Amino acid sequence: MKRILLLLSIFFFVGTSQLMAADAPTMSKDELKGHLGSDKVVILDVRSGRDWSSSEFMIQGAIRAAGSDIATWSKNYTKDQTLVLYCA
Amino acid sequence: MNPPLLMSLALGCGWLFSPEAMVMAGNSTGYLGWLAIPLLALAALIFSFNVNTINKALQSDTQSSELTLLKKSIGTIPAGALTIASSFPLLILAATALLVTSGYTFNEVFLYWFPNFGFAFLLLGLLTLLQFLPLKQVYKTQLFFVGLAGLGIFFLGVYGSLNPAKSMGTIFQIPQHISEGGLSSALLLLLFAGSNLFQGKKSGFPHVALIALLVLLPWMFASLAHVNPERLASSTIPFMTASRKIMGDTGRQIMGIVVIMGSCAAFTGFTLLCRQKLAELSQEKMAPRFLAKEGQRWLLPPLTAIAVGACMATGLAGDERLELLLRSALLLWLLYYCTVSFAAIASIKAEKSLPSITPFFAPLILSTGLVTILLSSSHPLELLKFIVFLLVASSFLAMLLVFINPKKKDAL
Repeated sequence: MKRILLLLSIFFFVGTSQLMAADAPTMSKDELKGHLGSDKVVILDVRSGRDWSSSEFMIQGAIRAAGSDIATWSKNYTKDQTLVLYCA
Repeated sequence: MNPPLLMSLALGCGWLFSPEAMVMAGNSTGYLGWLAIPLLALAALIFSFNVNTINKALQSDTQSSELTLLKKSIGTIPAGALTIASSFPLLILAATALLVTSGYTFNEVFLYWFPNFGFAFLLLGLLTLLQFLPLKQVYKTQLFFVGLAGLGIFFLGVYGSLNPAKSMGTIFQIPQHISEGGLSSALLLLLFAGSNLFQGKKSGFPHVALIALLVLLPWMFASLAHVNPERLASSTIPFMTASRKIMGDTGRQIMGIVVIMGSCAAFTGFTLLCRQKLAELSQEKMAPRFLAKEGQRWLLPPLTAIAVGACMATGLAGDERLELLLRSALLLWLLYYCTVSFAAIASIKAEKSLPSITPFFAPLILSTGLVTILLSSSHPLELLKFIVFLLVASSFLAMLLVFINPKKKDAL
């Protein structure tokens, strides 16, 4: 029983720590709030599967885009625009 | 009510009150309009015919199970393969989908700051630990999950039906996209597949079907009375849309509890179903003897937790393919029940001649539903490929289990 509990605990922490290991530059909720409605900031909702279908909400003004199709939609934006992507 | 009845209700209703089943019920209501209500009652009737046929075949032998019926009818390896393919992948895939949905619901309805995946992993850990408790405690907890989920749906359904936002004429209008309702009617059959497992060997209208009608019919009517059918049909979370329209933020919170409790109930119900399948395989000498009783408790829940955790951590929840895989697993479940039903008819027929062709109707309708769902899918070939893959893999596993068993002669 103890071994099983230990294995489960290790598994739980490995699973969650992997999810938290984000390496991309991030923007806080308050920072984003200040940019809402700006032409220079484009918010892209790249959630897919259950991440998309289970959620009730979408950030105001966000555009849906497939994360796997970046080559296609990235052409629609200029370099002076800030692209904010959210995936969860 | 005596405990066995409560137990059978708690286990049988686990899937019925899950968010997955609620999506199917909601989308079907959107496509079919009020016609979904009599069609759900028809699906319950077909289900009860099926249960009675299977139970009639099982009553002749106290030691028999669905697996023994299948073995007699299609042979040991195919029977084992179908049992494995229809239950274990469904547990893993449904659990992944349900836990992720619960994570989002908890995050969006109750605590914005709590990570959705964190909640999904937390729930996975707690539900796994629950399986290590004595079976009686597991049943009691399951009763709590199902009771709370069922009460929530029933309350919102009755409240919404008594306070409709539309006139009766509008509610009873036939939706414009009724032509797309074939798939939706067939999906209603999926709500009941497998719920008879814990019914026991009694004949009569199954209590699970009665409870399902009592809880889901008012809910479907209330959804129609508050939300446009087009919105219900296209929504990925029709239960949330309807509950918000019925009772505002309070409705969302009640539905939030329903989603989490329903997910817990479905997870626990599927795990117990798989434990029962392991016991059946073991009793038929198709799996090691220790899996017949206590062994399953120590083996299945940790392995399930590892598999579901791996699916979530590797991003399957965010992958469009999860829906396809889950639909394949559900179709295998339906295939299993069609086959068991035909096997039951063959078993009864072998003992005494059947007076009519009536018993064939239920499995024939289930088979038609299965083919309809498969063909109406946007990716029928992909669905079929995964079903075949699971059947082939399970056949190899069944062969392996039989041939490494020292008592393989008894199994064959």
